[in-house]
Amino acid sequence: MEQDAQLVQQCLQGDGSAWEELVRRHSRRIFNICYRFTGNRTEAEDLSQEVFLRVYRTVGSYRSAYGGFATWMTSVTRNLLIDHYRRTKRDRITDSLDDSMPVVENKASSARRPDEQALLGELSSQVQSALTKLSPELREAVVLRDLQQLDYSEIQTVLSVPEGTVKSRINRGRIELARILQQMGVRPS
Amino acid sequence: MNWTCEQTELLLTDYLDGLLQPEQQHAFDLHVNSCERCTPLVSNVTHAIAGLRALPELELPPRFVYNVLDATLGPRETVTGWAAVRAWVRGIASPRFAYGSLSLAATFLMLVTISGFNWKKPRIADLSPANIYRGTNRKAQRAYARSTKYVSDLRVVYEIQSKLRQDNGLPANSEGAAPDSNQQKDPGRTDGTNPATPRQQNRANDINTHLEVLAEDLPILSGRFCFAWSGKLISGGLLEGRYR
Repeated sequence: MEQDAQLVQQCLQGDGSAWEELVRRHSRRIFNICYRFTGNRTEAEDLSQEVFLRVYRTVGSYRSAYGGFATWMTSVTRNLLIDHYRRTKRDRITDSLDDSMPVVENKASSARRPDEQALLGELSSQVQSALTKLSPELREAVVLRDLQQLDYSEIQTVLSVPEGTVKSRINRGRIELARILQQMGVRPS
Repeated sequence: MNWTCEQTELLLTDYLDGLLQPEQQHAFDLHVNSCERCTPLVSNVTHAIAGLRALPELELPPRFVYNVLDATLGPRETVTGWAAVRAWVRGIASPRFAYGSLSLAATFLMLVTISGFNWKKPRIADLSPANIYRGTNRKAQRAYARSTKYVSDLRVVYEIQSKLRQDNGLPANSEGAAPDSNQQKDPGRTDGTNPATPRQQNRANDINTHLEVLAEDLPILSGRFCFAWSGKLISGGLLEGRYR
């Protein structure tokens, strides 16, 4: 955390290598958050790149009092993901109307590359699919808690909601996810 | 404490995170173990969390970092001409690359030499795969034949040595043992002081002849080894004392 703050300071003084180091340290984590939220590799890559562009432009507004740099970056990522969700909502409604037509092929699985399918494995693929069916507010809470392993106070900072709300969203998100998995026929062994 | 299904649902995350008070925990367990609705709920949620935590962390797409750096810091300068060549040479001039290249070259030289390539009169035809194979095969056959002959000759030497010991009634492992100074001189035994009989003299001459023949056949026995072995026999009194 201290190293991040130092790199940010160097960045603000125009040190390009410090910025490169920050990108290398956080890019994988940001990409994974975006992927788990969208369920699409290309979208996740574009969004992650957008996150870094936004961070680069606004790094001067980062204050250590806000929390760690990683938490601040996660917050930027979350805001961008929510913006993206709202922006693409209309497309998804159109997609869901198309999905209601009798189409044999599953759009979600066909959009995924074969190597991606193999990488995920069957259970992982089902969990990822169930995750993208959660509402965005529950999904972000579950992703931050169960995938990014953030504690409640960090999630509270990222989502800008009280801790009680964080707990409630995580709880509801987990129960909803279990219900979706059960509907998909995935049961505990 | 009366516990309801709604309470179970509401406090499930606290239960899974171990944040319930002891009495709440006890009531929760009692209820879940006896409730048909809550037992599968807890099991399914636990399974879902395990599935989430088992999701693999994905690798970054290739060139992601460079794309971000290009988009933020601007494209890197493209190096051309001699500067590009120098940069390329600098790239391959690492110790790891040099070590790997040297190892590869040494291995290649060894293989070519083993295959029978004549470095004094090099010919391109010797480097053809068929010739390399033929030369390597010939060398391997020759080495096998030599080693077979060597083992066979060693066996002959050992048999002669054993026979000599047998004939003189010595134990098989007494060659290196120190002689007993208080040894009794039994009738028919010699200690190197008595002159040998003509028959024993003839046998010693035969053995010497055999050793000379072996030494000619075996290069390894023609040097110090053979003389040392003969000398040992002589100094130990095996030849000198008994057969002369």
